[in-house]
Amino acid sequence: MLSFIARRLATSLVQLLGLALVVFFAIRMLPADPVARLVGQNASPEAYASSKHALGLDRPVLVQLGDYLGVIPGAHGLLEGDLGRSWVSGDPVASDIGRTLPVTIELITISFVLAFFISVPLGMLCALRPGGIADRLTFSYSLFAGSQPEFWWGLLFIFVFFAVLGWAPPPLGRLDPMLSPPHAVTGFITVDSLLAGNMITLRDGVHHLMLPVLTKVFVLSGPIVKMVRQNMVRVLGSDYVLYAQASGLSPSRIATIALKNALVPALTLLGVLYGYILGGAVLIETVFSLGGIGQYAVRSVLAFDYPAIQAVVLVIAAISLFVYLALDVVHALLDPRLHA
Amino acid sequence: MSDSAQIETALLDLDLQAHTARPVTDLLFRLGGAIVLASLVLMLVGPWITPFDVGRPSDDIMVPPPDLADLPHLLGQVFTGAPHDPIHWFGTDGAGLDVFSRVLAAPRADVAIAVGANLFSLITGSLIGLLAGTARTWLGALVMRISDLVQSFPVFITGMILVTLAGRSNATIVVTLALLYTPIYVRLTRSEVLTQRNRGFIDAARVLGKSEAFIALRHVLPNALAPAMIQASVTIGFAILMTAGLSFVGAGVRPPTPEWGLMIAAGADGIVQGEWWPSVFPGIAISITVFGYAAFGNGLERRHAK
Repeated sequence: MLSFIARRLATSLVQLLGLALVVFFAIRMLPADPVARLVGQNASPEAYASSKHALGLDRPVLVQLGDYLGVIPGAHGLLEGDLGRSWVSGDPVASDIGRTLPVTIELITISFVLAFFISVPLGMLCALRPGGIADRLTFSYSLFAGSQPEFWWGLLFIFVFFAVLGWAPPPLGRLDPMLSPPHAVTGFITVDSLLAGNMITLRDGVHHLMLPVLTKVFVLSGPIVKMVRQNMVRVLGSDYVLYAQASGLSPSRIATIALKNALVPALTLLGVLYGYILGGAVLIETVFSLGGIGQYAVRSVLAFDYPAIQAVVLVIAAISLFVYLALDVVHALLDPRLHA
Repeated sequence: MSDSAQIETALLDLDLQAHTARPVTDLLFRLGGAIVLASLVLMLVGPWITPFDVGRPSDDIMVPPPDLADLPHLLGQVFTGAPHDPIHWFGTDGAGLDVFSRVLAAPRADVAIAVGANLFSLITGSLIGLLAGTARTWLGALVMRISDLVQSFPVFITGMILVTLAGRSNATIVVTLALLYTPIYVRLTRSEVLTQRNRGFIDAARVLGKSEAFIALRHVLPNALAPAMIQASVTIGFAILMTAGLSFVGAGVRPPTPEWGLMIAAGADGIVQGEWWPSVFPGIAISITVFGYAAFGNGLERRHAK
């Protein structure tokens, strides 16, 4: 088991390094001029040159790479865990990501768990009678929900629940501007306000999460329902379920056995899905101005902020790979056949 | 009938239910096909059939769409040919542009980009997949590692980066999406090629003395393409979502092109004040279109499986 984890971890690290190199060279090969973006169109040639020098872009690309990775003397780079400084604000990129990433993780984790708990019973219901009314309805729903523009649904929910009904707060961030955020321990507003015992910020934090989570759950439940249903149908048609039925086990007992066996292979798919929505949180964060890593990515890309762009891609890919790996390990623990 | 035979038929029945009785009705498949067809027609003729100029601002700023109660009366006017003022069916936006006209003209951007990107990646992806499936094992393994690497990039953010840094234009969006989607087709074609390679008619061609390249292109590829074509229907839908999303955050199509994502973004501020129409109608268009491609692809898949 340990060697399995070590091997997978090593592959992931190599993959991440490859990814970092691809991003590094790709953004330098594209015909964009970050210096012109920073100093403006009307800057003098001297200002342009000095800015180019300050950013280190006048050096050969391989020297820039060495600096980025931290392999040339005196440089603190990626291999030491240093993500560099933003070209726009001058702040360390790592601290920007430390501030924005928890917002995104909080949003998608809550949405993911809720979507899962809604989808499992629905998927089971469909699988019990394939082709029945419930199955047809749920299938149409999952096909529909899985193919929707989530940013537009977010706006629609804002219109209905904020502009018309007044139930939701304005879509302007994670907390009411009059409230001060709780002392950051985990960076998750809900958890931190709970730790600080501050019920007012907790309530407000949850209130502000209501619509973004609703949007995400609506879109996410589509593929999850479909997945649970397919696995359940397959399991219910298997020999051991037939055997269980022949042995006279109660339907609820059989359903429990079947569910366990249906969910284990779904874990890997859930891992892929988690990584996918982590990278796709950009749109929902933009709609609700949540200030997560997705919005940070938009800002960095539009400002041609290369160190920030490199870091965002790397961090998101790293988390996706890590979640994927962790679920694979859980999968292997639950299914002894995979040890071999 | 003996007990074991009964169990046998029961099992077979269950198996059939699980595999063929997919709950999507033919209705959904036909509906999807109609939507796909309509989107392709609008892609071709959309900008030519708009009732208003999609680019010239007017003084009718933020006119709401006609009241539902007035609709029968207005439709009556249109169908009887009675003289009437031009009607803004979906209202107008903040620049006084007719929302209905722009929704109709937008497939020229959204659908064309999505179809173009998928044609591009379908062709390159299936050729690479064919190579990976027929070539020496190390080459195949290398191709698969590269497509693994491409697929480990966060799709949306990578799309944003490539389009913005390469210069926002419809062509760069097509190339970017094509690049991101190619691994999907490589994977599908390769696994299909691996199963086709050992079939009888391939051996027959070999016995006839045909070259490996000829066999691959003439016999293996056409038989391995079906899953990739089915996938294309679903992926075109996702490409439309992605194009609209990229434009929505300012990293896609350039304004003032009529494009659904841009229109939603332009109307987003108004929605908080209750001016819903500039954003809602283009969103409905995306919602219906992408659902159509998904339903059509799903139906195709089911038919192919039978």
